[in-house]
This record gives sequence, structure tokens and C-alpha cells, in this order.
Amino acid sequence: MTLRDIAKKIFFLEIMKGLALTFRTMINHPVTRRYPKVKRDPFPGFRGRHAFVRDSETGREKCVACLKCSIVCPSRCIRIEYKETEGERILERYEIEALRCVFCGYCAEVCPVCALVLTEVYEYADYSREHFLFDRERLLKNWDDFSSGLKTDTYFNKFWRPEGIDIKRMPVGKRLQEPIPIKHEEKVL
Amino acid sequence: MEQMEIEKDLQTRELTLNMGPQHPATHGVLRLVLELDGETVIKCTPHVGYLHRGTEKLSENRTYIYALPLMDRLDYISSMSNDVGYCVAVERLFGIEAPERAKYIRTIMSEMTRISSHIIWLATHALDIGAMTVFLYSFREREWLIDLFEMTCGARLTVSYPRIGGVRCDVSREFLDSLYKFTEEFPKRIEEYETLIDQNRIWLQRTKGIGVISARDAVHCGLTGPTLRGSGVSYDVRKHEPYDAYPFVDFEVPVGENGDVYDRYRCRMEELRQSNRIIRQCIEKMPDGHILADDAPDLDMPPEGRKRLIPDMSLSHACISLSDECEHITPAGEFYSPTEVPKGELGFYIVSDGSGMPYRMRFRSPSFVHASALPRLCKGHMVADVIALIGTIDIVLGECDR
Repeated sequence: MTLRDIAKKIFFLEIMKGLALTFRTMINHPVTRRYPKVKRDPFPGFRGRHAFVRDSETGREKCVACLKCSIVCPSRCIRIEYKETEGERILERYEIEALRCVFCGYCAEVCPVCALVLTEVYEYADYSREHFLFDRERLLKNWDDFSSGLKTDTYFNKFWRPEGIDIKRMPVGKRLQEPIPIKHEEKVL
Repeated sequence: MEQMEIEKDLQTRELTLNMGPQHPATHGVLRLVLELDGETVIKCTPHVGYLHRGTEKLSENRTYIYALPLMDRLDYISSMSNDVGYCVAVERLFGIEAPERAKYIRTIMSEMTRISSHIIWLATHALDIGAMTVFLYSFREREWLIDLFEMTCGARLTVSYPRIGGVRCDVSREFLDSLYKFTEEFPKRIEEYETLIDQNRIWLQRTKGIGVISARDAVHCGLTGPTLRGSGVSYDVRKHEPYDAYPFVDFEVPVGENGDVYDRYRCRMEELRQSNRIIRQCIEKMPDGHILADDAPDLDMPPEGRKRLIPDMSLSHACISLSDECEHITPAGEFYSPTEVPKGELGFYIVSDGSGMPYRMRFRSPSFVHASALPRLCKGHMVADVIALIGTIDIVLGECDR
């Protein structure tokens, strides 16, 4: 054992080194956030609460009842009912059970008309289970809630037309999809 | 006479102690039944299955693509690696080759997951043994990586980002810049962790000479990953059966000598540096191009095993009919595909009957195998060392019970 080792043993050098680091960190700027007061902005494309895009022309959802989302859903949480008239499908019921959803985002990616979207809202805890059964009206309301909080004029979800994937693979509705204009209500004083 | 009776009462017996499933140091819901002689463990019996969700059975009812989000939930702190492993397995089955760029992205993602998983391992392992500061510091770096995941794929933990035949969306320029900055910063952070615990005498006393397993025993137990490499066996799926972009990057496989807790710790710390190196190389070599193979199946692949629905001009036609294209892409047969996840070797054994859904799928999960080595490791050690031993084999019960 050299003199150095003995000195290390007596003076707790390695522990002192560690303590020096902790004291250095104490005077640094904290990395944590005081959450309920300071909110964190999720990155664009965050997969949060579901919503139906409100079509600016009709004021309703754009869903064409193609059932792709309910087929592709790994947790099978989407239920759709429709009636068929003159070769056209009319949506009667659309339900998403948000408590069963695994937020994979396949439904938004597969939707041929970009009607469904997983918005960037992540704070929607509630006391009752009924509030997590999103029906048509609720999904549209989710969109209104989300779009009113947006700061930009247009919105385009990343998974509607994922970057880097050959556009030929996508149906026409997705190829032609343009960013959705967001109407900001002017505040009446 | 009285003396005899007192001595009879004082006779020592073996004590059976039930540790877990709600014990905070068992890293989940692992239950250990310990038979103790004083403080020494004579026998240890792990009980698993408290987190069984039937992932194997669930994936039999889903096509290969819909089963992918289930793989996130296997080992929930390294979900990206599981997804990559699954995609590699299914690509090998289908005979699809992912494009170069996708391969590099997946390699970056796997290594990021390795770093974040090893950081969590270090944090919880040190916390179990008694060093709390490391726990707080390592979550700082993990947050950075998880933010990067969120930037790319919109989810922080259950990512489901890779896709059969590539990845779901391209990485952005800022992602690569931020990640490159991370790789520059990270070696300094590793040194910080080492300053805190590497020479610390408490840490050394708790880890050196504890849970020694020889190379021969480790191989016989079926250990893989850093747990095996700590014993001095240089086995790494990334080197021995390379997948994705691993053949194109240069890295070393760190090995230990004694096979004790401390050597496994050194191994993992060295792996953090190597992962950092791999990420740097991948960013520098990143090619341009598409991120999804041309013959990759679509997300809404029909369960009959056909490739895709034709995207037609008339929407209703495209949606209702299963199209005329009847190209079967899933060959029948069975095969095994291993990948290296942070915990060890994650293997997928798939029995395919030619349809779009697996006939049977079985995972060879490292955590399950490692948990089975616990009785051998624990024998003869103190109760307090059991905590260190659960930490050192690095198990996640989500993967163990599947």
C-alpha cells in the first residue's frame, strides 16, 4: 500500500470528490420544472387525446366510414356504425374508448381522408369512466378545444403524411391533403 | 433442567421470508421466497407471473403489423429495442430488406434506448444499494433522450416507431443536431457518475466479490448481454449475427473478468461509451433516401397475408374490397431471430402458417432467463446482497412475465 492509498483511506478522498460534485450541482440551475404552474409544450406530432378534424366547409367531421381505423387498431377500441345509401356511406355512430387505446397512432396514419388525429393535449384526466368514451360530438369538441389553444394559423399532423415515405403508397385523399386552417376567434371585449 | 428448556426454546430454525411482490427493490412484481439461516440465504425461489398479460397469445390474433405496439409493453423502459427486434424478425421472415437510411435510424434508436436503459439500471441499482445522488443525476440525461424520442415519433415511452420494412417517419435535422450535441456532452456525464460511485468505498464493499458467477456457469444458465459479458464471455449478437447498420460501424464489446456485481457494473458503464460512439458514427454516415422498403406491407395489411390493398381513385372501392391483388408474402415455416436489447438477447421464435397472422410466437426474453439464475447467485449471500443481485441481473418484469 503506497502513501497515496493511505492518504486516500484516511481523508476519504473519493467521497470528498463526490461531495464536491454534488455541491457544484447545488449552485447550478435546476433542470426540473414546477409542473402544474409551468407547463411543458409537447413536440409537434405528440400522440395525445383523440379528435375529429372539423371540416371548415360543412362544420362536421370528415369521416367516410371506411372502417380502416377500426380494423387497424391493435387494442380494438374503435366502434363504427354506418348506413349505406346509393353507394355512399353515412356515419351513424363513432366511438373511441380512450381508456383502452394504446396511443400507437395507427388510426391517424391509416385514415384516407385525414379525419382523425391524435392531438397534442395530454391533460385530460377525469373522475368518471364515461368521459373517456369519445363519441362524435365529443371528438369534435376535442378538436375545438385543441385548435383554440393552437398558436399557429394552420395545422398539419405529422402522421397524416409521414415524412420520407413514398407518396405513391398513399391514397389520393392523403396526397392532396393540405394544412388545415385554424380560425382563431377574436376576443370580444 | 431449566437450562435445557431455555436452550430448546432458543434453538435456531430456518426462517422463510417472502420478499415481494410489492417490494420496491424488486424492480416490479418479482416475488422471492427466501430461506434464511440467520442473515444468510440458503435457498431462493423466484416466483414470476404477476405481470402476465398474454402478449404471445394476443399476437396470434393480430397480423404481424398490429402486433407491433404490443412489443413496446414487453420491456417498457427499452421499448424501441423490442420493436426493432420484432421488425428485424418479421423482415427476415418476409424476406424484406429495409433501406439504408432506415437501418441507420433504427441503429441510432436502439443505441439511444440502450443508453437510456443502462442509465435507468444504474440509477435504480445505485439507489437500491444506497447511493441516491446518481439516481437524480441520471434521470437528467434520460429526459434528454426521451425528449428526442418524442420529437421523432410523438411518444415518450411506448414509441411503436419502427415499422416492418423501415421506420414510420423520417428524423428531422434538429433531431440529429440535438443528438450529436448529446453525444458530445454524454462522456462527461458518464465521468460524473463514475466520480460519484466508482471509487466509493461503500459501493466497492457492496459490489466486489458479490454474486460471482463463472463463465462456464453463466453460459449454462443461459445468461446473455452485459450479465454474461461481466463474466468474461465475449458474446454479443450485434457482433456475431449483425443486423441493421451494426456491420458498418466500429465498436468494441467490453468484457469483465471476475463476474461479480462490480464487473458487470464496469461492463455496462463501458457499453454506455460504446453506444455513444455508435450513435456518433451513425449520424456521420447517415445516408439519404427513403425510409420504407418498396415491398413493405401496408399498415392495413389484410389478415390473409396479402401484401396490400390497392389505393384506388374511387375511395369506396379501395376501402371495401380486399382488392384483386393476391400476392402472398408470408412464407410458411418456423424460424428464430435474435437481437441484442439492453438486457441481453431478445429472440423471436415465429411459427408461420402462411397467413398474415403468426400461428405461434414465442419470445426468448433475457429477463426471464436472468431471473432463473437468481437462486444460484443468491446462495450463501446476505439478505442485503439479494437487493444488489436483483439489480445486477437487470430484469424488467414486464418482459419476464410477458
